[in-house]
Amino acid sequence: MVSSINSQQLYKLQGGIKLPHHKNDSLQNGLSHLPIADKVYISLRINRGNIAKALVKVGDKVLKGQIIAKPDTTNGSYIHASTSGEITAIMQRATASPEADISTVIEITTDGKEQWVLLNKKPINQAYIDSVSAKDIIDSIHNAGLVGLGGAGFPTHLKYTSNDTKINTLIVNGAECEPYITCDEQLMLSYPEDLISGILLMMKASAASQAIFALEDQVGNIKSAIEKHIKQRKINNIIVTKVPTIYPAGGEKQLIKVLTGREVPSGGLPLNLGIIVQNVGTIKALSDFISEGRPLVERIVTVAGDCIGMAQNFITAIGTPMSHLLQHAQFHKDKTHRLIIGGPMMGYSMPDCSTGIDKTTNCILALSKNITQHYGDALPCIRCGECVNVCPAGLLPQQLHWYIKGENLEKAREHHLFDCIECGACAWVCPSQIKLVDYYRYAKSELKYLDYKREKSDQAQIRHEQREARLERLKAERAAKRKRTRRRTTNTDKIQKDLSATMERIQKAKAARQDTKLETKNDSK
Amino acid sequence: MTQNKVFNTQSAPHIPKKNSVAKLMLTLGLALTPAILAHVFFFGTGIIIQLTLAVIFALCFEAISLKLLGKSIKLFLKDYSAFVTGLLFALCISPVAPWWISFIGMFFAIVVAKHLFGGLGQNIFNPAMLGFAVVLISFPQAMSMWLPPHSISPYAMSFVENLQAIFFNQFPSTIDFDTLTQATPLDLIKTGISQDSMMSEITTGIAFGNFGGVGWEWVANMYFLGGLFLIYKKIITWRVPAAVLLTAIAFSLPFYLIDPDNFIGPLQHIFSGGLMLGAFFIATDPTSGCSSHKGQLIFGAGVAIMTILVREFGNFPDGVAFGILIMNMSAPLIDRLTIPKAFGQKDK
Repeated sequence: MVSSINSQQLYKLQGGIKLPHHKNDSLQNGLSHLPIADKVYISLRINRGNIAKALVKVGDKVLKGQIIAKPDTTNGSYIHASTSGEITAIMQRATASPEADISTVIEITTDGKEQWVLLNKKPINQAYIDSVSAKDIIDSIHNAGLVGLGGAGFPTHLKYTSNDTKINTLIVNGAECEPYITCDEQLMLSYPEDLISGILLMMKASAASQAIFALEDQVGNIKSAIEKHIKQRKINNIIVTKVPTIYPAGGEKQLIKVLTGREVPSGGLPLNLGIIVQNVGTIKALSDFISEGRPLVERIVTVAGDCIGMAQNFITAIGTPMSHLLQHAQFHKDKTHRLIIGGPMMGYSMPDCSTGIDKTTNCILALSKNITQHYGDALPCIRCGECVNVCPAGLLPQQLHWYIKGENLEKAREHHLFDCIECGACAWVCPSQIKLVDYYRYAKSELKYLDYKREKSDQAQIRHEQREARLERLKAERAAKRKRTRRRTTNTDKIQKDLSATMERIQKAKAARQDTKLETKNDSK
Repeated sequence: MTQNKVFNTQSAPHIPKKNSVAKLMLTLGLALTPAILAHVFFFGTGIIIQLTLAVIFALCFEAISLKLLGKSIKLFLKDYSAFVTGLLFALCISPVAPWWISFIGMFFAIVVAKHLFGGLGQNIFNPAMLGFAVVLISFPQAMSMWLPPHSISPYAMSFVENLQAIFFNQFPSTIDFDTLTQATPLDLIKTGISQDSMMSEITTGIAFGNFGGVGWEWVANMYFLGGLFLIYKKIITWRVPAAVLLTAIAFSLPFYLIDPDNFIGPLQHIFSGGLMLGAFFIATDPTSGCSSHKGQLIFGAGVAIMTILVREFGNFPDGVAFGILIMNMSAPLIDRLTIPKAFGQKDK
């Protein structure tokens, strides 16, 4: 099954759309280190709303790379200080997340020295890779605070700690399918060697026998550069493959389909197919942690859009306020209509630019009204079916919309609502300009809530039934007891009766005896 | 923490495609142009008057309905959907039909079929087809007045004569009543068959061309051309038209092969009457059609089968409108039975 994956053969993705590219602006201005901001705001939010526990308090001095928060459970990741300085606040603040969610944020006032904690460096050569154990690498992944840098922020070590399935393939996701975003492409251009090292480590950690390195077919000569390094290091189980630039071919499930022809089962994970998909940024971060000792405290962020004078990629400390990044890229604030974290298809718009960037913040987009504005008026759905043609999940978006609008949510579930990946292709093509994804998000959260409530009420029902049964049992027990007691009582009566009867008999006998005595007395007289 | 909102925080996607309902509808109108020109070429300028009338009535009824329902007139008139309904209706009726046919037809199309069902996107029936079916059943005589195409007609009506015919029911004295009625090829066949003529006798008549009626087949060709343009522009997909046309051929062929004297040939079927118009422009109406891809194929096949059954065994010469209306009714059921499997649900 594994060896059948051929680098040349690609499979067709159903649906999908061709989008304008908009990537050249930020690429031509290259990659630079962003000077550290005066203050950084590090969010303690880990995925799915879990909050890490702060290990520092206001007034503490911290060093760059020091662990400042740890997760409550093993399902979270460590959070490190991204610069040296003093903790000046631990507060509730808007974070780089959808709806700009308020969460716990640690404010570090930087001292400008960028002083690192003691770093443990190991050169990643063949000898190291041969000697290190998978468990050590997985521990490193955990200690480095790695999460999926592609956008979902899933704690990376969890992918490697599942024992049920044997992993055979590592897919390296270098296919950034959203317009504007170039942080991954820039990373591949700048650090091909580190990437190869990281891939070898990830393969060792997962025991995958091969890796497929997926690139978009619109990238320049990255493929040959990476292949050159692979050849130099005499590696034969990493295949570099270009995939068509169709949105959303870079989505995890879609990429697996394009590369292997296999579909992740509905509601399942790539792990179910023996596949791990890893973003290039995450791989580079692992390589950095092992070779340089640096945990995940910085990432590459693309700043782009038509309101940015100097679009480019910055190596940015986690927690850096968006305003600081924008300031270094010639931001035209007045022209900006929407400020977006992420890409134009799935990114979320932020109310202002004070938020600190997160580990998953791959791009900051400033777009003017010219671009964000709709062409026509918002109208009712005419069921034109364009959305059906572009849906990569094979759904009927217009039917979902219809049912959700009519609050017929169970019908929407029947139409496979939960297989929607919220890529926004349907909303993009909609001639009636309907915000379709909003409907799906609403319905999903509503259904989850209803399920939760149903579960609760089911539990309550079970509890109620159990209580009824218990009461019934007690009643029966009491009744039985009473019956027994009654029987006993009846018995006493009988005994009493018997007793009194006997007593009577004795009395009678006594009386009879006395009578006979008297008679004899009388006779003897 | 309340924050001052500096930027717009609408949800993704942030770069909408330049697409709109109005653009869609106008493209549909554009795709009808070749057929309209062919119509003018073969049947005279009457169709222009009918198109204008139907569109004016459609827009008036649309505006009145919107006003009464308290919806934005400006917003919905701009979507051009009533405009397209008017065009499609006018292309179904005779170029010399009296003006009130359009009036009544558009009343039922726009007010009854569209707005009483909830307006744009909510109608169960295709408005143009419902309007057409109402006038076809109610006014059979007015609906069957057709002029033969110019090439075989002893007299061609001028624009003014067309106006007089439509508004005052006055026809030039050179045109006798016989020429004026029962003149569509499908009418001729229906009458011919009922008089025990053989199909081969009927179709060698002057009104018949290579595959359909003279003139008619060219209008049908132009609908086909316009339809291809719509497929190219991705306004419609190939599924419904292909299903209609191929099913029409496949379904009519056995009848024709068994008894060619009493049944219409497959080519005659697809190039006559409203089948080509219906296949590309009306059965593809997404609002009243099926949404799943499989459902669309079933929908198209159903339209074709109904059309042929009506043409061969029914009382009406053509059955496209009835076929479409019956399939409109079945569309929700077909959709329910053809929910596609989602990604990752394929049995593998």
